[in-house]
Amino acid sequence: MRLREFGGFAASALIAGAVLWSFVTTDVELSRLMSAGPRIAGFLGRMFPPDPTVMAEIMKGSAETLRIAILGSLGATVLSIPLGILASETMVSRAVFRPIRMLLAFIRAIPLILVAMLMVGAVGLGPLPGIIAIAFHATGMLAKFYAEAIDGVSRAPIAALESAGAGPLVRLRHAIWPQMAPVVARDTIFRFELNLRESLILGIVGAGGIGFYIQTYVRSFQYDKAASVTIAVVLMVIAIEGINVALRRRFA
Amino acid sequence: MSIAAQIDDLSFAHLGTDLPALDRVSLFVPAGESVALLGPSGAGKTTLLALLDGRLQGWAGRVSVLGAPLDPDHPPPRARRPDTGFVFQEFALVERSTVLRNVLNGRLGRMSPLRALLGSPTAHDLGIARTALADCGIADLAERRVDSLSGGQRQRVAIARCLAQEPRLILADEPVSNLDPARAGEILALLTAAARARGATAMFSSHQPDLARRFAQRIIGIRGGRIVFDVPTSELNEDATADLYRDPKPMPGIGLRAVS
Repeated sequence: MRLREFGGFAASALIAGAVLWSFVTTDVELSRLMSAGPRIAGFLGRMFPPDPTVMAEIMKGSAETLRIAILGSLGATVLSIPLGILASETMVSRAVFRPIRMLLAFIRAIPLILVAMLMVGAVGLGPLPGIIAIAFHATGMLAKFYAEAIDGVSRAPIAALESAGAGPLVRLRHAIWPQMAPVVARDTIFRFELNLRESLILGIVGAGGIGFYIQTYVRSFQYDKAASVTIAVVLMVIAIEGINVALRRRFA
Repeated sequence: MSIAAQIDDLSFAHLGTDLPALDRVSLFVPAGESVALLGPSGAGKTTLLALLDGRLQGWAGRVSVLGAPLDPDHPPPRARRPDTGFVFQEFALVERSTVLRNVLNGRLGRMSPLRALLGSPTAHDLGIARTALADCGIADLAERRVDSLSGGQRQRVAIARCLAQEPRLILADEPVSNLDPARAGEILALLTAAARARGATAMFSSHQPDLARRFAQRIIGIRGGRIVFDVPTSELNEDATADLYRDPKPMPGIGLRAVS
């Protein structure tokens, strides 16, 4: 009991210390926040009314973002099928799935925007670095999901096919795949939604898509145009979510 | 006379237990016989059948199935596995696949590796699957998904898959334990008839003596991992059967209340 009380006290002290440290050492000038009111109003004022003349750019950027998400998701799916198999304890030995799982965790730990910046450096500006970045980043999650789908199926039919003389890949195809197919469909759609959402901002680092226009208009102080693009992005996210809810109901 | 199974001095304990699931079992089954393994739950019936199917390793003794010795440490080569067919107690079907797909799964070990992987059966494979479906009385269910079937229908699919495998030894683990008595009789009748028609040996486990008596030529009583009796059906002794199912030795102090 004593020890628990001390533990609670120590945790509180630690949290308070962390908050205090952040306040003191970061330049949080609350005075600036006080005087920011008029400036924010001015900023918002310059955003309104949103400029509808950028419709063509919005359509062009959205279409490119959609293409990046589609091709990036395709790349991630193609990479995730073998990696998912190699990360499942049903299909391979511990000596194989352990290092593959570590590799996937490492991939997941790298933020997408960082991968995109590196890819822009490697292959130049445009949608290609965006596609590669999405494919790479999404594989970290999707291969893990596929492995979990393989390991989540009922084992009895696998044993039955083994008893009938079927090899490991034949068992995967005829005993595991029919059971995991709906899970794979759901997970892939979920990851596609995330890819589309995340690829909206890729243009900010020059990796293609609608984010390019937000960055361009903000940098050149054309806030009314930036506002139009922002509204388009918000509408797209809402639309994606609507489609996804409908699809999830279908695959539930 | 060819031999379906020969077992000499077989002992086996499941991983992490000292209590043997099979204790010095010796058994000889000639080809073409229909044998019932009778005994209470936990007697070792499932273990014995799974071992003959090549799914258990780490046993001691000598076992040969269909004339080929089993390796106590390694599963049998894949090419030999279709020769022993297994009917699983919980059916072990792929629920989201159709009945025909599940029955064709029994052919996978007989197909070429590429055909098996692609799931593209030859006309010969399809013919065997259709015959198995007809023999089990479920030809009209071929295109239905297994998850829409009743327990009795699933059991028929499980048997049809085993028959499609063209096994020379059929091992059925409690094939009727989930069914009502009328259905149980039908299922055992079609299983033993199909085995006979194919010249295959059938071994099935059960805990119902009357069913064993109706459908087996020979009855083997198992209790505590040991063979208690092994007789032709006509010589089955009521007392021996009853003895098989008697309660374990009453433990002192349990079930007795001190009277002051």
